[in-house]
Amino acid sequence: MIINSQAIFPTAAYIHIPFCRRRCYYCDFPISVVGDKGGKSASFMVEEYIAALIEDIQLTPSINQPVKTIFFGGGTPSLLSPAELSNIINAIALQFGIATGAEISLEIDPGTFDRDRLKGYLDAGLNRFSLGVQSFDPELLKICGRSHTLDDVTEAVNIIQQLNVDNFSLDLISGLPHQSLEHCQTSLEKAIAISPKHLSCYDLVLEPVTAFGKQYQPGETPLPNDDDTAEMYRLTQQTLTAAGYQHYEVSNYAQPGYQCRHNRVYWENKPYYGFGMGAASYVNNQRFTRPRTRREYYKWIEAGAIIDAPEMTASDRLLETLMLGFRLAEGIDTAQFEPDTLQKIWSCLQPYHRQGWIELIDGDRQLIKSDEIDLSSIQKIHLNDPEGFLFSNTILATLFEKLE
Amino acid sequence: MTDVPVSRIRNFSIIAHIDHGKSTLADRMLQDTGTVAQRQMKEQFLDNMDLERERGITIKLQAARMNYTAKDGQNYVLNLIDTPGHVDFSYEVSRSLAACEGALLVVDSSQGVEAQTLANVYLALENDLEIIPVLNKIDLPGAECDRVAQEIEDVVGLDCSDIIQASAKIGLGIDDILESIVQKVPPPADTVDRPLRALIFDSYYDAYRGVVVYFRVMDGKVKRGDNVRLMASGKEYVIDELGILSPTQVEVEELHAGEVGYFAAAIKAVEDARVGDTITLVDEPAPEPLPGYTEAKPMVFCGLFPTDSDQYPDLRDALDKLKLNDAALSYEPETSSAMGFGFRCGFLGLLHMEIVQERLEREYDLELITTAPSVIYRVTTIDGEVMEIDNPSLLPDPQQREKIEEPFIKVEIITPENYVGTLMDLCQTRRGIFKDMKYFTQNRTCLIYELPLAEVVTDFFDQMKSRTKGYASMEYQMLGYRKDHLVKLDILVNKDPVDALSTIVHRDKAYYVGRALTEKLKELIPRHQFKVPIQAAIGAKIIASEHIPALRKDVLAKCYGGDISRKKKLLQKQAKGKKRMKSIGTVDVPQEAFMAVLKIGKE
Repeated sequence: MIINSQAIFPTAAYIHIPFCRRRCYYCDFPISVVGDKGGKSASFMVEEYIAALIEDIQLTPSINQPVKTIFFGGGTPSLLSPAELSNIINAIALQFGIATGAEISLEIDPGTFDRDRLKGYLDAGLNRFSLGVQSFDPELLKICGRSHTLDDVTEAVNIIQQLNVDNFSLDLISGLPHQSLEHCQTSLEKAIAISPKHLSCYDLVLEPVTAFGKQYQPGETPLPNDDDTAEMYRLTQQTLTAAGYQHYEVSNYAQPGYQCRHNRVYWENKPYYGFGMGAASYVNNQRFTRPRTRREYYKWIEAGAIIDAPEMTASDRLLETLMLGFRLAEGIDTAQFEPDTLQKIWSCLQPYHRQGWIELIDGDRQLIKSDEIDLSSIQKIHLNDPEGFLFSNTILATLFEKLE
Repeated sequence: MTDVPVSRIRNFSIIAHIDHGKSTLADRMLQDTGTVAQRQMKEQFLDNMDLERERGITIKLQAARMNYTAKDGQNYVLNLIDTPGHVDFSYEVSRSLAACEGALLVVDSSQGVEAQTLANVYLALENDLEIIPVLNKIDLPGAECDRVAQEIEDVVGLDCSDIIQASAKIGLGIDDILESIVQKVPPPADTVDRPLRALIFDSYYDAYRGVVVYFRVMDGKVKRGDNVRLMASGKEYVIDELGILSPTQVEVEELHAGEVGYFAAAIKAVEDARVGDTITLVDEPAPEPLPGYTEAKPMVFCGLFPTDSDQYPDLRDALDKLKLNDAALSYEPETSSAMGFGFRCGFLGLLHMEIVQERLEREYDLELITTAPSVIYRVTTIDGEVMEIDNPSLLPDPQQREKIEEPFIKVEIITPENYVGTLMDLCQTRRGIFKDMKYFTQNRTCLIYELPLAEVVTDFFDQMKSRTKGYASMEYQMLGYRKDHLVKLDILVNKDPVDALSTIVHRDKAYYVGRALTEKLKELIPRHQFKVPIQAAIGAKIIASEHIPALRKDVLAKCYGGDISRKKKLLQKQAKGKKRMKSIGTVDVPQEAFMAVLKIGKE
């Protein structure tokens, strides 16, 4: 199994802000729809939620380790005012402390903020922004049920650039209904022209409970087929790599020095706090997901915010390390495995290595090219980009089958 | 235990269709006679196996002795001999009926007479049993007592003028039933002075005592320590333990003609004490055994293979253990190029097959792949040699064959009239030969067909049930072998023939089956990184072809806000699916694919 897998303390915090104007047709996240107008009842809802969220933070035991990353995800966190976010950040600072130079990210949606509001966010300490563009095609935005227009996107980018926000990211989705390879290419070019430091490009996952899931069959028109979406994945990889972005995770690209430090915590299988309804945390060797509706979440807080979850076993940790670590381009460090575990992993991976989906790196950070593999010479194992990434579930399922 | 005169013994069984309330009625009688105390009562006391209780059916029969004080003030002993309620076990039914003088015919007062009930009533009449008709579930809103009573008169030909109206569930009519057993069922013949003859109607294997034999003493007496001979098997044993079933086992010293009981005698396997065999004394043997003994023969065969080849020895041990308790189960090692080592197993029928599979998986924790069920074909070679083939892949080449014969059965289906059309259609597509149609009543039409058994052992029963919304019931009897134009249909996956997917089909249906099978397999086999052709062939001739397109991607784009549980579950599911697949060359084939032939034409 894994060597030195004793508990380390979380230094990352995820905060879930569930409010959205509408639910996008592909989304099955735990959210609360507040409508396009907002209004009094909405502001009461938000107030009540923030109070519960702060209580959630305060009920979590502190271990004198300041957090190094905070991530406000949603939902649409930019529906909260700078003051409201500031209150939450303060609560974190009081409970755990915030390290100097901490990365504090906020997901923002076009059409939900103006110049003043973004200025307010910067003043509140937020220093990384992820703009949910999803597509640069006005038709596709409509098809997805997004609450913003292409003009809103242009406006949002202008504001970000006027305020000289350095560390910002754009989100794009591929594999949307009626989307062609040309659409995908155009969207990528428009994104590159804005030159964000970071890009997340997700292939649409059809979730059964969503509007899309009920309306469409995977791989059938109007959804692009698997051949096309696989091609979109390769196209994205080629286009963005050529534009100077590193493909550092299955769906994430960054300019050097701008990888998302918070998300890396997940992929490195390190512990993190999670606050808010539906938020997942990994603390004290327990993975726990908070209740997914506001009502249930408030009840849970009232009952003392008890983390009732089994402890991760050595086998859980091994499988999760593999499942998460292989998402990263740099892959997995072999030094963390006991020799017999590494032997087992390698025997699962051998056929995929022959196929070219798995690559091995030696102590000098060089790709091992020889066919005669000496296990002890392998320093890191990673998936090949893009083919290995494209079939990562096939590889992981084999590891799960043999190691569980 | 007091000695009971033969005149005050009543031996009876209950004939009922599945769900018509036999087990509930038996439970109620045990309770009302004080045989089983209320607090010991578990639902369906007589159904011992978990599987039986879950499926609500009786597989292994049981017996119970009840003491009952009748209205005449006399004490009677009532022996209930339970019968299994499924067509696969009709031989066992006939033997337990032979151990009785009477039978309760229990009919659901909202459903009416079903085919299987009818078949068992005829068995009972053949055995000269007194039949007491009972309408059950009369408390239900849908009960139509008059109509159903009339139906029993019309269909079965029983006088129903004083039919008992009962509801076992709420305890109605139980006294009437007990009383009429005493009044109407004749006492056993008093043949205590003749040499011992006792009929085995059930047996089961016990790890400590060996086989426990359930029997009815027909003539003479038997006591503990007796040296007995089983007349069919010729084996001899000393009785270590003798007792009655009340319904738990209670030891007694002696049992005489008319009584029902059990004994243990260090018998190693149930096949040494088969149902229907006659027990007699070694020192004073009866001149003739009781009539009606036959060896229950497997009719349906399939291959059982462990998904993990390391489990082969475990599978063998498990089958050895099941065999101790199941004389009708047969198995011999089979090697398949596609599936590796396994066993070719024979069963009485489809239900028996399912039960054995389920027990192997559940009680012995084995993961199995089952091939589609087949029957025994009789092949005559050009040299005049006759071979019995229970495995399609072993069929000799066409040049070697003079003819193939297959087993035919006579099927009787009882159905409401409005489903006659769809059932005739079903029988026609299964190569049925129409024989007769009888109108019993407005709601009961009886269809009689002759059908190849092979066409029935697949999904015929399920089809019949679904086409008639569950209203039809069926019964079958072996007719014998008939010659037909049969061919072997091979399936090739990625150009490799897969022996475990071969089937024997009628020449006229080969094209249809080949096309349907390849289409079904295309659905069932997952995509691989390469294109996988699926073909159906007769000899070297490809008659149908499909292909599974290559897998283009297998990746989950996003891990949601640190909630990795969904992705983990997905991978665990994928890994579990992989574990249950069999690799054929470079293609992973899931378990369902080997049963694909059963799924043809269904959606």
